[in-house]
Amino acid sequence: MTEHVTTWLGVYHDGELRGRRLRQVEDHLAHCATCRAELERLRVLAALLQESPAAGGLTPPDRFVAQVGLRLPRRPVQTAWQRALEVGWQLTPVGLLGAWAFIQAIFLVSGVVMGALQLDLGSDVTTWLLPASRQGSWLAEVFGLSGASLSDIGQIALQLLDSGGPLGWGVTLNLVSLVVIGLLYCSWLASWWARRYHRGEGAT
Amino acid sequence: MSSRSAPSAETDVSNLELITQAQQGDRRAFGELVRRHRGGVVNVVYRMCGDANLAQDAAQEAFIRAWQHLPSYRPRSPFRNWVYRIATNVALDVLRREREMVDVDALPLAASDEGPEAAVEGKERGERVRQAVLALPPASRAVLVLREYEGLSYREIADTLGIPIGTVMSRLNYARNRLRESLAPYLEAL
Repeated sequence: MTEHVTTWLGVYHDGELRGRRLRQVEDHLAHCATCRAELERLRVLAALLQESPAAGGLTPPDRFVAQVGLRLPRRPVQTAWQRALEVGWQLTPVGLLGAWAFIQAIFLVSGVVMGALQLDLGSDVTTWLLPASRQGSWLAEVFGLSGASLSDIGQIALQLLDSGGPLGWGVTLNLVSLVVIGLLYCSWLASWWARRYHRGEGAT
Repeated sequence: MSSRSAPSAETDVSNLELITQAQQGDRRAFGELVRRHRGGVVNVVYRMCGDANLAQDAAQEAFIRAWQHLPSYRPRSPFRNWVYRIATNVALDVLRREREMVDVDALPLAASDEGPEAAVEGKERGERVRQAVLALPPASRAVLVLREYEGLSYREIADTLGIPIGTVMSRLNYARNRLRESLAPYLEAL
């Protein structure tokens, strides 16, 4: 004989067993008097539970409904501004997704620029980033250097952007932005759960 | 076994209409919802608390909470389960508040229509059953009440109480084992 199926008898009794497990329990019950007796005890218990009296002396339904109606508070009416705020709050994840896509686009473009520099198009890009008309003005004052050395500074700055930090500035900034967006999303999710719980959709 | 069946599709449809109207502030539609679900809600709370007066107050409180939170209700799960969830939580709140005040042994006996001897015997047995159910831990009692007195499926109980199905099974198993111990003399006599 197979092993007793007492663990599953309650579930079987409630009609919640399906598939292979159901067949296994039925096959076992056909041969096992012990488990059949156990199942019978469950049935007797269920019948006994029904002998517990229902609540007596209740208020008639109409009166009960009227009493509830009298106790119902006015439901606060949302203003257009509150509704707009609510919609905005609901759309926060979409906004975060858009911000993430925007940041990715920025890094993609900067990657293309860096690639162009590495393909020896650097001087053109540096010239574009540091126009000749401005080379002698504020940058020279800030760094206290002559106009001639400004193109060198541009090259150095771009190299720093390209290779700064252990992972490179691009990767580091990308990771930081991802973490920030992730944290914002987690905060939103937490407040969403809190609101859901508080409002009773989850557990009023 | 179960005393109630799951709501029919027709009832669900008209429930949905009533819910939509009530969500827009229609108190009459909500009154109809209260009328439809009053019996089940009072029964759940009564089986949880063990006192009819307390159960009626708690049931009214449950419906008031349901009214307040109705705009956030989404008909992904039946309204009945949603309102039972609120009722169960109200009952647990009541039990916490009234723990010192409600003495299980001192609760009044319910009326019976049986003959004198059978009535006495049946009344005593029913009363012992009620006390045994009330002696269960609230979490197991809630699962047992929803299963045995309201006939909810495991999935519905899990949704109603916000717990996994495995927990429903283990709590139900625990409750039944406890009841079999405390009601052993009556089980053997049957």
